[in-house]
Amino acid sequence: MTLLDVDDITVRYGRLTALRGVTITIAEGEILFVTGPNGAGKSTLLNAIAGVVPTATGTITLDGTRVTGAAPEEIARRGFSLVPEGRNVFGGLTVEENLRVGTGMRADRKKITDDLESVYQDFPMLAERRHTTAGMLSGGQQQMLVIGRALMAAPRLMAIDEPSLGLAPKIIDQVYEILMRLRSQRKLTLLIVEQSSARAMMTGGRMILIRGGRIVLEGDAADMVKDERLKQAYFGFGDH
Amino acid sequence: MSRPPSVIRQTIVTPIILIVVLLAMAALSYQFGSRAFNRTAIEMFINIMVVVGLYAFVGNSGLLSFGHISFMCLGAYMTAWLTIPPVMKSITLKGLPAWLLHTQLPMWVATPISGVFAALFALIVGRIIMRLSGIAASIATFGLLGVVNNVYSNWDSVTGGQGSIVGIPPTMNVWIGWLGAAVAIVTAYLYSISRSGLALRAARDEEVAARASGVDIVRERLVAFVVSAFIIGLAGAFYAHFLSIVNPGSFYLRTTFITLSMLVVGGMYSLSGAVAGVVAISVLIELFRDLEKGVSVGGLTVGLPNGAQEIAIGIITIVILIYLPSGLTRNREFSWRNWPLQRRRLVPPVQTALKETN
Repeated sequence: MTLLDVDDITVRYGRLTALRGVTITIAEGEILFVTGPNGAGKSTLLNAIAGVVPTATGTITLDGTRVTGAAPEEIARRGFSLVPEGRNVFGGLTVEENLRVGTGMRADRKKITDDLESVYQDFPMLAERRHTTAGMLSGGQQQMLVIGRALMAAPRLMAIDEPSLGLAPKIIDQVYEILMRLRSQRKLTLLIVEQSSARAMMTGGRMILIRGGRIVLEGDAADMVKDERLKQAYFGFGDH
Repeated sequence: MSRPPSVIRQTIVTPIILIVVLLAMAALSYQFGSRAFNRTAIEMFINIMVVVGLYAFVGNSGLLSFGHISFMCLGAYMTAWLTIPPVMKSITLKGLPAWLLHTQLPMWVATPISGVFAALFALIVGRIIMRLSGIAASIATFGLLGVVNNVYSNWDSVTGGQGSIVGIPPTMNVWIGWLGAAVAIVTAYLYSISRSGLALRAARDEEVAARASGVDIVRERLVAFVVSAFIIGLAGAFYAHFLSIVNPGSFYLRTTFITLSMLVVGGMYSLSGAVAGVVAISVLIELFRDLEKGVSVGGLTVGLPNGAQEIAIGIITIVILIYLPSGLTRNREFSWRNWPLQRRRLVPPVQTALKETN
């Protein structure tokens, strides 16, 4: 079943066109990696789906409902959880307060306490620091916190913008390990922006490559890495 | 393992400490202070209400507001309309509707009504102003201050215009002042730990991430705006009973800037900061007021020229902000652990701590 259907969207920042006619679909339970060089429009794609930046043309359908032009909080309520780039924890709030904000819109208060405990089970490191100010956590810990916060919204589709940015390789391994575990435990669908196509290949799943605001390659991550066209698309060799 | 009210357990100490310290100040003032000193203490308690009300909005939303003193104006005039004897009102305030003209309520009924009136007004104007962000919102609140002041200065038949309305029962004392400050502190505390307060503080730190977490910023800001207007409306009511006169000039620029500087000096993102700022600036004002009156040194009276008080407070504020840009409390809260200020920075960042997740 299709969970997210992005149909031919265009995003403009003033006179600059960041995305030109991008179409993607994600089925329930799938992993989709979005790769591409800097400035290709990867983050713009995520932000457009989340409603943070407006789309100029095209439609976005989430779980059968058209959400084009809806406010970010509205889209979040429909089960789409965005982990923005740069691990933006709420620095002045404690770890527990950060997690509670993730539930801001949910009415089932009793379940929130259960969810809090289950996030603490997934991330024991957060449980130990539940009353620590989030701004004082290390980079890896902050990445865990923003993922935990996104989980508190009980999303069906979680989009993560560059989870490995600025983290040591060993920590990146742990982040992915946790993501894969969460995916199988919670039946999460994942949309991950990742600079490293090697990482996408290791993890498995579908992959698209964006360059200059367009999708230039699409396919199974494992196959694509072998593809000579990937290098061309990345570095712009050949006849683009 | 499950401890649902842990947020309250972690933070409840702060309002308790603040209220107990203020109670001690009220008791000392009542026991040992002169009549004039007691009036200064009452004024300080009223200012605490105003600044704590300001904190409820400014501290949680991160938006500076220049308009909150208009809620004090609304509360004070509502109290005047409700508590002045009908005989006096029928002479000075002919324009009042008949039902209001013939009403006279005791203070403990009129005060909450005044607070609710200010809150309702905030609900209406806030629906528009809260859509703005950053400096635009601050300018809009400044406009609100101007509009309210203009209406109250010129609607002669209802507000007495530029002149003062007299005849409000002078029922304030230190204990009522303390009670008001306590109500303000508890209200602001409960708001800031509520879901709405939490969501708003998150939006203050990271707007995009907060919205992506489902926070409706405009709505939460409006809630904070209404809560703070209620607190400041109560303060206005107390102020009317304190002076027993109201005058639109009391609720304008001077009060706006003094209360804002109290908030900033104390630390605008913490409740303790709001209270500490008022106490610190009030002590300074009182000190310089005495110095202006003159100190006798061996038969000679040496005094500072009039106006020295404002200049000195301006300079001291600047000095404090240069050395402590986040205020006297550095935006932290009073607590038992790590007395006197809770350090929220005890656990150093540990890079290798992620191992524990395996």
